[in-house]
Amino acid sequence: MIGERNLDRFKNLDFMKMDRRTFLKAVGALGASLFLQTYRGDIVQALEFAETRIVWVHGGECTGCSISLLNGGEPDVLQAFSRLNLRLAYHEVLLGQQGIYVDGKMEGTSELNSEILFEEVIAEKGYILVAEGAIANGPKGTGKYCFLGGKTYKEIFRRAAENAAFIVAVGQCATNGGVNAADSEIRDLMDFRGVAFTMEDRDRGILTGYGLEKPVININGCPPHPDWMLLTLAAVVLGKIKVPDDLPYVLDKWLRPKVFFPPDHVIHDNCPRRGYYDKGEFDTMVSGPKCLWKLGCKAPYTHADCAIRRWNGYHSLCPQSGSPCISCVSPGFPDSSRPFFQEIEDVGIVGTNIDTVAKVAIGASLLAAGAHAIRRTAIKDKHEGKDEKPEEKLEEKLEEKPEEKPEEKLEEKLEEKPEEKPEEKSEDAKKDQGEE
Amino acid sequence: MVEVTVDQLTRIEGHYRITTQVNEEGIVTEAQSMGLMLRGFERFLQNQDPRDAALLTQRICGVCPTSHSIAAANALDQLFGVEDAVPKDALVMRNIHQSLNLIASHATHIYVLWGPDLANPAYRTLLENYGDTGKAVWKELLGRFAPISYRLDGVNIPAGRGYIAALGEKRRLHEAISLFGAKMPHSVAAHVGGVTYGPTVADIGQLAAYYWKFMDFVENLALGVSPETWIENTRFASSPQKAVGFVVDRLQELVDASLVSNDFSYAAGWGDVPLYAAFGSELVGEEVLGLPVSMKLDRIGGYNDPSKIGYLVYGLFFKPELGDGYDPTCPPDSRVIPPGFLNGNLEFQKFDHSKITESIAHSFYVDSESDRYPFEGTTQPEPEPDEIEYSRGVESRYSWIKAPHYDGIPCEVGPLSRMLVMKDPLITGLADLFREKGYPVTNTYLRMLARMQEILVVSSELIKWLAEDLNPNGTFAVPTDLSMAKDSEGMGLWEAPRGALGHWIKTGPNSKVTLYQAVVPSTWNLAPRNSAGVPGPVEQALLGSKISAAGNALGVDYTNPLSILHTSRSYDPCLACAIHAIDLKGQQKGQFRVV
Repeated sequence: MIGERNLDRFKNLDFMKMDRRTFLKAVGALGASLFLQTYRGDIVQALEFAETRIVWVHGGECTGCSISLLNGGEPDVLQAFSRLNLRLAYHEVLLGQQGIYVDGKMEGTSELNSEILFEEVIAEKGYILVAEGAIANGPKGTGKYCFLGGKTYKEIFRRAAENAAFIVAVGQCATNGGVNAADSEIRDLMDFRGVAFTMEDRDRGILTGYGLEKPVININGCPPHPDWMLLTLAAVVLGKIKVPDDLPYVLDKWLRPKVFFPPDHVIHDNCPRRGYYDKGEFDTMVSGPKCLWKLGCKAPYTHADCAIRRWNGYHSLCPQSGSPCISCVSPGFPDSSRPFFQEIEDVGIVGTNIDTVAKVAIGASLLAAGAHAIRRTAIKDKHEGKDEKPEEKLEEKLEEKPEEKPEEKLEEKLEEKPEEKPEEKSEDAKKDQGEE
Repeated sequence: MVEVTVDQLTRIEGHYRITTQVNEEGIVTEAQSMGLMLRGFERFLQNQDPRDAALLTQRICGVCPTSHSIAAANALDQLFGVEDAVPKDALVMRNIHQSLNLIASHATHIYVLWGPDLANPAYRTLLENYGDTGKAVWKELLGRFAPISYRLDGVNIPAGRGYIAALGEKRRLHEAISLFGAKMPHSVAAHVGGVTYGPTVADIGQLAAYYWKFMDFVENLALGVSPETWIENTRFASSPQKAVGFVVDRLQELVDASLVSNDFSYAAGWGDVPLYAAFGSELVGEEVLGLPVSMKLDRIGGYNDPSKIGYLVYGLFFKPELGDGYDPTCPPDSRVIPPGFLNGNLEFQKFDHSKITESIAHSFYVDSESDRYPFEGTTQPEPEPDEIEYSRGVESRYSWIKAPHYDGIPCEVGPLSRMLVMKDPLITGLADLFREKGYPVTNTYLRMLARMQEILVVSSELIKWLAEDLNPNGTFAVPTDLSMAKDSEGMGLWEAPRGALGHWIKTGPNSKVTLYQAVVPSTWNLAPRNSAGVPGPVEQALLGSKISAAGNALGVDYTNPLSILHTSRSYDPCLACAIHAIDLKGQQKGQFRVV
């Protein structure tokens, strides 16, 4: 396990004296479980900190983010909450209470009635608001497409946000609208919004609509990894990340923690099938062992630590199980990733997705995708005895002429590249398979 | 008459309200089931590559994503014309994937979503009237089923042992899925023509290790006896009477010992299932076993009029002995848990998918006709805010859920229907006993017991698929090409943990999706009234219930309508699933029928 290999590097460090950079490195490398185990003693000291309340609200969603949170490893989420002195003050899927109205009036106490509990919790202020699910703004700006406890979720979210210290948006629906905001003929009618963004559009985040300025941390993913959620909460609760002062340094432009969504790392870098890619061996149907690039894998331009951290017991990630990465952490997901099973170059620059709001993500991704295309060409050239390194050349060119738009440059470059013969390659692949 | 509304009903997925009219005796005389949110799922699949459906539709539900991905893959098999060629080992992998998700989902429901109601303070008050026995039982209920962040009288109560253990089991079962499906929720394995990953021998060994670990939980906490013993004497009992007899004998031993010792702990042999089986039912607990008190869950959650209710199963799990390929129409005996329909008197009829229709008479959709086949639906969500109003009574439109029927009859779907159609001896035998003694034939008690029993039934199949049927050197997919999906259609019938699930898909000349429809379990169970004014299953099941604990044993408490909570949650409601479906008016050209 990756965490165990890294343990030695960190175990002699005093966690409480770590600077923030080292702290983030440590939690990033160890994972929530080992981190909490390794620093159990330190965290016990942390219990002297005041109780931190978490208010977790649900809009238009599938509850998958909560389910993923519950998949957090050893210690489990209940133990982690207890060690970090976190109190889950409101969470409608997990708490004992429910809303009860008798002849239209809220009845009972907050021990049984979730509506009364919600009012009490909101009134106390200063909690961390975790938002799961998109906020329905439709029809016609009323928010009536999502209703609970006799109020629109839009209104509930606004009130919860106003009194929160800051907001952690978990999952694609809350961060960017996700599947709720995917392109369709009724998208505008439903008008689902993310907290700070709707798809890539910051102006359409629901907070902008409220005119409310609150610090936001986005934990993307469909669903997010439990470590991403738990470690972010841990880092903030333990004071290792100061909100809002540190946020500009620890978050990327999509407000995602860089430690989990590293700008200089893509899933492809550590993919278990990477060896096949380097050899130029590609699967053209599912259930094989090879690189999934030709099946539409988006790992080469997806910035997330899935391949290092891995999922559910630190076992696996999508390409390992034979399915292309669909880049579910990208702000434009799912539109920026569709169609899932077509090679990026097949979609092309004027492909299906370019007319959607996902334009920006695809544009950026093409840089990476293009570089990979060239790299594969380079491999092929090497096989043919040439010794060119077009990838380096591209980098050089980009450095030399930073004023040029990379996409344009890339287009040129792509045109220049020697023609590929994918059939030939897949034949090679078949041969190799036969030899095995 | 008092109006008692539960809004929202928590510990489910999504947003859901139940409004009831309750008379002076504390009996429900009218109930309304309301889905409070709209999603846009099937619409954004249109004009897209159909292969994306298996990955995207599972985002309908984070608790049962596997069911949606496999239902979609099944529909895609037919769409691409490969349903008779999907390799046997791929079908076995779909079974394994689904069974792990089903077990995890059931365990989560029983302990985390439904179970906390057993720690409701009303039971403390009730049990305190029964001396040391009552106190000992309350200690067990609170110590096992208290949820996270629970408080009673201002005192923080630690989460229950069963609750915590079940969360751990759910986590481990999701880890097992990740061995071949990468991650949970939203795993990746299901794909047109097969699965994306062929497991290695090492994977199979690890899966078996997860299985046995879960079986430890079942034996030590849930059952108190070995799962093999339980299954042998219930599922494989020679008659329903024998199966009931085995359970009653086992419970009687426990009761006889514990009424003396007042020890109802795990150590004394009281697993969660026996504890529930004895104290949940008036008939079993009080009349048969001689307990002084019970929760009387067999008195609530039944159906008053057998002509207005049915029990529907599409069928679940491919039979490995049938080899490659399968029949997408689910003929009799074609699945391990067989397809079938039972009418309100539990009389069996052969399943015929063409008898499914959906009504929108009381739902917030706009259409010229109120009853249609799901694949002919031309509905549009109500666009006018003023028309969306939840408090205009039963004559109005009041839900985002449609009302599906089978042969014109609202149906309950889920574990209870499956165990009855499968003729599981224990559940069938108990239903017979309830009928004989004048109790509702099906009820909240039996609905939950069926879910527990289904974990055992499915577990015993799972280990067989893993150990005997799965060949790691087999084939796990057939090649497909997008061009195979030109001008085609497909139907994927399957079962989610919560009940019957169907996906329907149609494509145009460019192989892009022109129609996508999903009819999901909670749409069946939580349906509003239909065009004839017949209430949906949950609405019917609440009628006539005494709203407070144990048949209003402590009097009527409108502020703690425990029986409404028990019954509505016993269906394992999933609003995220139920409200997925919308089609834009005039979208489809021509009618879509599945052969």
